Amino acid sequence: MLLDEIARSVSGGQAVQTSRLVEQALADGLEPGSVLNDGLMAGLTVIGERFKRNDCYIPEVLLAAKAMHAGMSLLRPLLAGGGERLRDKIVLGTVESDIHDIGKNLVGMMLEGAGYRVIDLGVNVPAGRFLAALEEHAAPVLAMSALLSTTMPRLQATIAELEKAGVRERVKVLVGGAPVTREYAQRIGADGYAPEAASAVDLVRDLLAPAPTV
Amino acid sequence: MAQLTSRERFIGTLQRHEVDKVPLLNRFMGPVAAKLAPIFGATGRELEIKLGNDALMVQIGINAEYSHKVVPEGAVYTSEWGVKYQRVHGFNQPLEHPLKEPSLAGYVFPDPHLPSRMTEIREVMDAYHDRYAVVVDLSCTLFEAGFHLRGMENFLMDAYENEDFMRQVLQGLADYYTALGVHAIEQGVDMIRIGDDVGVQSGLLLPPAKWRTLVKPHLQRMIEAFRRANPRILLKYHSCGDFYTIIPDLLDFEVDLIGTMQPCGQLADPFRIKREFGARVSFLGGLDVQQLLPNGSPAEVRDGVRRVLQAYAPGGGYVFMPAHYINVDVPLANIWALLQALQDFRDYPLQAA
Repeated sequence: MLLDEIARSVSGGQAVQTSRLVEQALADGLEPGSVLNDGLMAGLTVIGERFKRNDCYIPEVLLAAKAMHAGMSLLRPLLAGGGERLRDKIVLGTVESDIHDIGKNLVGMMLEGAGYRVIDLGVNVPAGRFLAALEEHAAPVLAMSALLSTTMPRLQATIAELEKAGVRERVKVLVGGAPVTREYAQRIGADGYAPEAASAVDLVRDLLAPAPTV
Repeated sequence: MAQLTSRERFIGTLQRHEVDKVPLLNRFMGPVAAKLAPIFGATGRELEIKLGNDALMVQIGINAEYSHKVVPEGAVYTSEWGVKYQRVHGFNQPLEHPLKEPSLAGYVFPDPHLPSRMTEIREVMDAYHDRYAVVVDLSCTLFEAGFHLRGMENFLMDAYENEDFMRQVLQGLADYYTALGVHAIEQGVDMIRIGDDVGVQSGLLLPPAKWRTLVKPHLQRMIEAFRRANPRILLKYHSCGDFYTIIPDLLDFEVDLIGTMQPCGQLADPFRIKREFGARVSFLGGLDVQQLLPNGSPAEVRDGVRRVLQAYAPGGGYVFMPAHYINVDVPLANIWALLQALQDFRDYPLQAA
């Protein structure tokens, strides 16, 4: 199956091969949407699951994301709305005074791989910029990273800013980063915490799931 | 027994003797040192000595230009390695890496033979070496130095996509740091500290097989050169995070000291680590800086200090420090608790658990 081959090529981090296979799939008349979902995203899901089990290493995730992007760049012009018709938007960034980004980038890659539209504000992001981006994009999720114990308090400070601006109710806040723990996340009133990037996808999925009707 | 000098205490413990007390090498971030300075009436190395440190470190190489260079907030500068940094909130953030493509064409490594590179080492040797051990820090030596030259994500992927290029970069770095280390050894220093942060919270940044084929041979070559320059030179390997998997590889080189023993992942249990490796190597660090020191109570800090001493110090082979710098988020009360606990618990014979 060509789609399985694409998925394997993505999870194996083979960017050149992935592009070639996607071209072939399109030439064979496969739907761009299914190449995306059942090929590229399926491949990244595999690597995400392995990462969650501690069964692969960070560079392997980076390579898989690179392969996925290589395939995506071929698909994007063919997808309805230029690929913008993706799932919910997520505002992502590393908090103010903190310049560490690889963990935050991995989260972004995993979320994109799961079909979310990630608005990555980069590193050293003050609370006001998070707030402005959440409003500009009407994003329902904010995902923040802090690598240093000294910058962790900015997570809480940003949540307080959301409250002050009256948007806290409509935004789910996720936090992560090396020194951040589940207990800390609860204490500062975040909606979710994930210990590594792949679990962040499950978390977003759960948080955005419609509340069950009784 | 005659009173030991700090230097004798430090070297004695690395020979895995129970000396008079566990030696100290506490490190304080600039703003913390600034807070402590007026209290102790000393700054810089004099402050470290007043706080009980037995060894003094001099850092040279790419990391010295990065993490220890102080420029005005917002300033942009390009280091001699061609890395462009900007100071943001007290940290120099890499803005641009010189190796944009996987090629060393046109790139010239800095000259390790400049006499000025030894100036600070000589000053410290002259002023302190009769009493204190002098450690020259070359860390951020190979793998991690590559992040500065190439960008972290690119260099990690190079381990798969551009292995030959990665080997060349590591070779260039190894040549540079070998020469620098040999010059430092010629000044008579006691210890060379090398290493890269290869550990994350749980496990390594890259597969151990990649580390063994790409990084380990260079480390071996460096260590052989250092031992040729002085067979008695002490060697320390540094990594943050969980580098448990490569400890046996480091023991292949008979390094004397490993740290920072950040209590995470497979390094979480210091008693197990001492049991497993303590006959062959000494340890530095181990006290949690991610939760305990900033967020624990003074009583918990006291218990934590006592516990790492009980785990790592029996039989010697242990230098105390927290698993990293003491940072600005550590309350003064916890710093006092730490210093008090050291005063109460670091004397040999150790108090029973």
